[in-house]
Amino acid sequence: MSKVTEVDIALSILDHQLVDSDGQNCGKGDDLEISGLDGDSPEVVAMLVGGNAWRSRGRLGRLAARLSGNAVHVPWTEVDSVTSVVTLKRPATELRLNRGDEHWASIVGKLPGS
Amino acid sequence: MTLKNVLAVALGIFAAIGGFVDIGDLVFDTQAGATFGFQLLWVVVVGVVGIIVYSEMCGRVSAVSERPVFDLVRERAGFGAGLSTLIASEFVNLMTCAAEVGGVALCLKLLSGLPYRLLIPLGVLGLVVTCWVLPFRWIERVFGYLGLGLLVFVVAAIKLHPDWGQVAHGFVPGSHSGGSLLVYLYFVVGILGTAMGPYEVYFYSSGVVEDHWSLKDLGLNKVTAIIGYALGGTLAIALIIVAAVLFLPSGISPQFLGTPALAAEHSVGQVGLLLALVGMLFAVGGAAIETSFAGAYSLAQFFGWKWGKKERPAAASRFTLSWLVIFALAFLVVMSGYDPVKLTEYSVIFSVVALPLTYLPILLVANDRAYMGESVNGKLANFLGGLYFAVIVAIAIAAIPLMLLTNGGQG
Repeated sequence: MSKVTEVDIALSILDHQLVDSDGQNCGKGDDLEISGLDGDSPEVVAMLVGGNAWRSRGRLGRLAARLSGNAVHVPWTEVDSVTSVVTLKRPATELRLNRGDEHWASIVGKLPGS
Repeated sequence: MTLKNVLAVALGIFAAIGGFVDIGDLVFDTQAGATFGFQLLWVVVVGVVGIIVYSEMCGRVSAVSERPVFDLVRERAGFGAGLSTLIASEFVNLMTCAAEVGGVALCLKLLSGLPYRLLIPLGVLGLVVTCWVLPFRWIERVFGYLGLGLLVFVVAAIKLHPDWGQVAHGFVPGSHSGGSLLVYLYFVVGILGTAMGPYEVYFYSSGVVEDHWSLKDLGLNKVTAIIGYALGGTLAIALIIVAAVLFLPSGISPQFLGTPALAAEHSVGQVGLLLALVGMLFAVGGAAIETSFAGAYSLAQFFGWKWGKKERPAAASRFTLSWLVIFALAFLVVMSGYDPVKLTEYSVIFSVVALPLTYLPILLVANDRAYMGESVNGKLANFLGGLYFAVIVAIAIAAIPLMLLTNGGQG
């Protein structure tokens, strides 16, 4: 983010909708990677989206994480703004997000009129 | 109101006809009328005001923030509690969708005389093709306005010349007669549950985003919620009156979905029967669509997927597959032979349990100035919102014990 803004990361990022530069939904902020927690100035390095990012989210989260693949790391430098949603600077595909829709589109795309 | 507004109100009419008057009402209201006469009419009013308060609130939140309800559930409740709510609501959605699909097949059977088990696949196929082909707005209009055939029950209720003094008395809560207190309370919970079912707000708030409502539509949101659900409430009241006049004196316990339609025939004739069946078909069919979509909306909004009829089906493939799978599972449940009426009772009672976690995030966000700006909840919305939240928590706690103690209202 270009200018310094005060953001409560637990309330404003975690579990919020991610939207790419084309305005498309592309997952949720499922977990955060934070560096420098032992020092004075901890910093959010990346957002973790989907898959085993859920393992830190309670018992149900651990179970869900075990059933799914790896999380996608979105570097914090890719974040454009934080409002009621977290807006990213690039389209979802460039950040390897929304691959689930691409995967299942191979089946749904075969139906007429899809 | 301009023609544009008349068509725009379709969301509310659809939400009300499909969401408010669905198989839950056809079952609970007629049984309530047949068991307790007019004595439970006040509960309908309590339920209607409640669903208006929360639909208006979640429509406003969705129009202002463009965030539908399940987005907020995840955001406010966090991953664990959000996922629990998701699992519970998907279970309820599926059960409700199955009940509605069974209801569609029953209505088709009464209209055509063909065998029930043949009409289940035909009914599901018809619903899926409709959802696939029609844009969101036309689904709203077709099912909303054809569901208005149910208005024949209002005509029937008037033509049956009920004792209006007694009817008026039913709008005042008080002592009851004709059954045990527990059964009476079971019907109170059932009527409130079917009036305030969680899938209605999931669907309504997502519909607001699908219809691209924004700040300038807040007036329309209010009108839509009030007109739509008041209409639904009027129909529910008519069903209770008809059942009270026709079934209570003769001791008939309506266990079949077709019973209310016969009541319409009794007082309005052949045309009445036809209107009632067509109205029921589209009301119940609309509710089947709403529940399957509510399930897909909730899943997509919890995980942050692309969603909506506005997307090409293949572009939002996970969302598309979700509603197709819900229809497929509902089909299997009904084909396995569960009685739709029994299924309805269970789905309504279980949905009551899922209510608090659906409504609390709406109430919290509607009070959050950072989201809502000037459109934040006023004093009246907060007073009613808080009051109804207390009611919801109370009936959520009482629902399952009452179902077990009364053997599902049998006493």
